[in-house]
Parts: sequence; C-alpha cells; structure tokens
Amino acid sequence: MNIKNLTNGILKENPTFVQLLGMCPTLAVTTSAVNGIGMGLATTAVLVLSNLAISLLRNFIPSKVRIPAFIVVIASFVTMVGMAMEAYTPDLYKALGLFIPLIVVNCIILARAEAFASKNGLLDSVFDGLGMGLGFTMSLTILGSVRELFGNGSIFNVSIFGAGYKPALIMILPPGAFLALGLLLALYNYFQIRRAN
Amino acid sequence: MKDIIKTGLILFIISAVAAFALAMTNEVTKDKIAEQRQMANELAKKEVLATASSFEDVTGDDLAAIVAKFAPVVEVYKGLDDSGNVVGYVFKSTPNGFGGSVEVVTGIDSEGTLSGVRIGNHNETPGLGAKATDPSFYEQYAGMSTDTPIGVAKSNPTETDIQAITGATISSRGVTSGVNASIDAFHSINGN
Repeated sequence: MNIKNLTNGILKENPTFVQLLGMCPTLAVTTSAVNGIGMGLATTAVLVLSNLAISLLRNFIPSKVRIPAFIVVIASFVTMVGMAMEAYTPDLYKALGLFIPLIVVNCIILARAEAFASKNGLLDSVFDGLGMGLGFTMSLTILGSVRELFGNGSIFNVSIFGAGYKPALIMILPPGAFLALGLLLALYNYFQIRRAN
Repeated sequence: MKDIIKTGLILFIISAVAAFALAMTNEVTKDKIAEQRQMANELAKKEVLATASSFEDVTGDDLAAIVAKFAPVVEVYKGLDDSGNVVGYVFKSTPNGFGGSVEVVTGIDSEGTLSGVRIGNHNETPGLGAKATDPSFYEQYAGMSTDTPIGVAKSNPTETDIQAITGATISSRGVTSGVNASIDAFHSINGN
C-alpha cells in the first residue's frame, strides 16, 4: 500500500478542480455549503465501496465487458445503500435522499473504477476511493460556501454579512454555479502554477 | 466464439448476483420503508392539526366531489379526537409553484382557523422558492382566519396577508393558492 494514493485525490488530482469530473452534481447541488458536504460525503461512501468491490472482482471481469460490469456493480451498491438508509436511518435519508440517485451517474465513480481500482489491490483502491471522495467533498463544500456566501449572505446557515446584506441571487441560480466554478478554477490554477515556479 | 460465450456468461453472473442482492435488500427493507413513509405522512398531518389524535381518509364520492370542485386539492383527511369527534380537516393540495407542482398540506380546525401549513415535495429553486419549507415562511399561516382568502404581500402584510419570500413571489403565491383552495373546500364541507 501507498499513502500517496490517499493524498493524491485531495489536491494533486482533485476530482473537481483538476480532473473536472462529475460536473453535473457539482454544478447542480452546490447551492449551499451543507448541500456540498452532503453530496460529497455520500459520494465518498459509494466510491470506497465500489472501489473495494471492483478491486476484488478485477481478475474476474473480462476487459471487453468491464464498463457494463462496473455500472451494474455501482448502480446496485447505490440502490442498496439508498434502500437501507431509507429503512433504518430515515432522518439521514431525508437530508441526503436527493443525492443518492445522482451518485449513480457521477462519472468520478466510474472513472476511479476504470483508472484505478481495476488495476490495483484492495487496500490501495480503498485509499484511492477515500482520497478522491474527500477531495470531491472539499471542493464541493468550498463551491457551496462561496455560492451561499454571496447568494444568501451566510455559510452553513450562519449569517456572515448580517441582515442588511442584499443577496446576489444569481449566485444561487444555475449561472452562479458556472461563475463560481470558473473563478475557483482560475484561483486554484494560479496557486498551483505559483507553487510550481 | 468461445470467448463471446465466456464473456457473456461472466456478465450474466455479475448481473444475476446484483439482481439477487437487490431483490434481497428490497425484501428486507420494503416493510420498514412503507412503515417509515406512513409514519412521516401521519406526522405531517399531526403537525398541521395538533388537536387531532387520529385521522380518517375521506374517500369515494365525497373526495371525488371535493377534488373536482376545489382543484388543486387532491386528498382530504378528517381529524378526530380521542372520543371520535371531528376536530378539523387536513387537505393536501398540489398548486403550481415556480418549478412545477408543490405539495401543500393545510390543517383547518372546526372553528375555521388555519392550524398549520407544511410544504412536502417540491421543485422550487434552492435558496429562493425552496425557502417555503422554512418555518419562518410556513408558520405565517398558522392562526390565520379562513373568513377571507389569504393574500400575498411583498411588503407590509395586513392581517389577511402573508409576507412573500424575497425573490420568490411566484412560489409564495403558489403555496397560498393551495391554502386558499383548501379553505374553500373546508367551507363547503362545513356547509357554509
């Protein structure tokens, strides 16, 4: 095992800011910091489980049908987790329920299964899933915080700008997602380039 | 040829195992899920009509007559106290908001006072219309009289108005139209 597999996803290969994967959920659910962290953590759980399963099955799945096989495994996992959550942790399901079906179509899961878990051992794959998931959670939380701050004057529902702030509603609407993501990408690249020099 | 059969067989095995696992999970969780949904439903009714201890569905011709006349009302429940007296009604309506239909649950007690309003499933814009699910919005309805229809004011609401959500007047009007339809249905049931 290699600890680098864990840290890779957080900054160097951050799914959102570097790989630009899973843009659909990224843009759609980050209207607030809480939504960002919820989507991120739910995705992390599925990433770890699916990487584990794909890594276990990697010698069994023929390469010709690997994509349909991965999708069946991932979709089954997500559905089962969703059903179990609705039955036994209804409060958590109420908070995250919206995101669970969205995870199936999140291409980060498939990308990590294809690029990593199908070629690496069990522990490394779990670490990769965890790292990528945490990286995704972090960037979604940042994006959600920025949009909530300017669009609602708060972060995690805690008022920052006070009651007198007139919110820039566009930040919460879909165009704000593109604006905020573009600006954050520029900022991220600026710091990466400066560090490299 | 042999390769194709082998590949197909492996994919078949994976799919079959997945289908079996899904069926098992469904079997184990389906009763529990139905129970949770039922509980959530009961709880929502109880929240808008706290004086009732149980609820009875209004069904058949009575419901059909109300639904036909007072759209967007879709479901009606009679609230009963411990000794079986009617203490009020709960109406579920699905008026149109900004992003499609909004589920509005309205409770009205026998005195004709709005005992509560809650918002169920909706597709309103997060951060704008979705604020209708915040207590600061829906609690405005509680305690209002049903003698006159409820209005929506952008600022300085009067006694028969609610304050619209900033930037989401359409959602606020949508919810209010559901409440007003429920009020009309209530008056028709109560015979005045």
